[in-house]
Amino acid sequence: MSKKRRIVSIVVFAVIFAALLVGIVLTSGASPASEEPIGEVMKDAVLHETGKINLLGIRINPGLVSAFSVSGIMILFALIIRIFVIPKFKLKPGRFQFLLEKAVGLFDGLAKENSPHKSHFIGGYIFSAGAYIFFSTLFELFGFQAVTVTGRPISLPAPLSDINGAIAMGVFSYGVILIGGLINNGFKGMFNALKDFSLPISMSFRLFGALLSGALVTELVYYYSLTSYVIPVLVGVLFTLLHAVIQAYVLTMLVSIFYGESSEPSRKKKRGKKI
Amino acid sequence: MPLNIDIQQILLHMLNFVILFAVGYFLLYNPIKKFMDKREKYYSDMDEEAEKKLSDSEKLRADYEEKLKELNSETERIKSDTLTEARAKADEMIKDAKAEASDIISSARAQGEAEKNDIIRSASDEIRELARSTAEKLITSENEDEYNKFLKSVEEADNGENE
Repeated sequence: MSKKRRIVSIVVFAVIFAALLVGIVLTSGASPASEEPIGEVMKDAVLHETGKINLLGIRINPGLVSAFSVSGIMILFALIIRIFVIPKFKLKPGRFQFLLEKAVGLFDGLAKENSPHKSHFIGGYIFSAGAYIFFSTLFELFGFQAVTVTGRPISLPAPLSDINGAIAMGVFSYGVILIGGLINNGFKGMFNALKDFSLPISMSFRLFGALLSGALVTELVYYYSLTSYVIPVLVGVLFTLLHAVIQAYVLTMLVSIFYGESSEPSRKKKRGKKI
Repeated sequence: MPLNIDIQQILLHMLNFVILFAVGYFLLYNPIKKFMDKREKYYSDMDEEAEKKLSDSEKLRADYEEKLKELNSETERIKSDTLTEARAKADEMIKDAKAEASDIISSARAQGEAEKNDIIRSASDEIRELARSTAEKLITSENEDEYNKFLKSVEEADNGENE
């Protein structure tokens, strides 16, 4: 692209941008985009009391629909990769192979670092959990629509911004740590994990709080039409990306550390000879 | 329940994640990890083999150097032995040649002496014959006494020489 053409493109873009901004300010002011009051919108984003979805006769939160959707897509991709990509792996990796190996290597390294005695299983677990948290958080960016039982359309949120999803993830991870301690270290390992009984609550609510805060900020930004044009690009996308990376890292790191502690072989105390 | 917590939905979320975990673990993590381990083993084996070959070649080089050193010292020893032997042989040959030369000279001297004696004897005989013939000629031409006298003197001279 020549210099002249580049300048023309920038000027055209700036004029369109300015015209849009002016138009937004002149026409809407600070009026709400939704007829529902902001308090109600945010309460619904947290509790999903009104925006339920009917799935096979069960009234469920939209977060569960998101979870099923994300899992379905991920399982489909996993199958495609397993059937078509992994058998063609080469010693000198291509870009996609490098990406897959990097992801596996990242979680495997995290598992080996934090749980050096038993790292294979927990490596696989945090790989799946990390991928789930990352992709399910990014899922809300696509804004897939569903219809609630009241007939209102709703944008599918991140599965973990639903408190049930966050509790499921936290409790299941704690269960993995507990069972890991029991299998590797017997009841001593299990009791070692049991003493951190606050762990499932802290893990669940950390996930829930972090993802919910992102969702609430996005809801807030989208609520007023004045702030719903440019700012969501920065706030919504960046917050979501940051949450996806940070929460995936935090949960996988915590799980691997606690798993490492519970599965660590107990050291036998050396008794000194009595003189 | 408070905060819209629903046990059924929690269990559904868990079921969903268990399925996802199983798929992620068995379809992605395990095969990729296995491949990575296999590749790591392949390169570590290759590295180990190269190390082994290098150490073998170092050992071989040291052996060859040792052998070369031994060979050099053996060559030096053989060279020195050969030189000593050659010198001894040369000395012996010179000694033999000198002895032979001395023999040749002494035999030549003896032969020369004998030839000289022979020549002297034959010269004496010739002189005697010449004297006899001269005396005979004189006798036949002048007187016989003179001749006899002469013969007598010659015989006396011969006897004296023989003694």
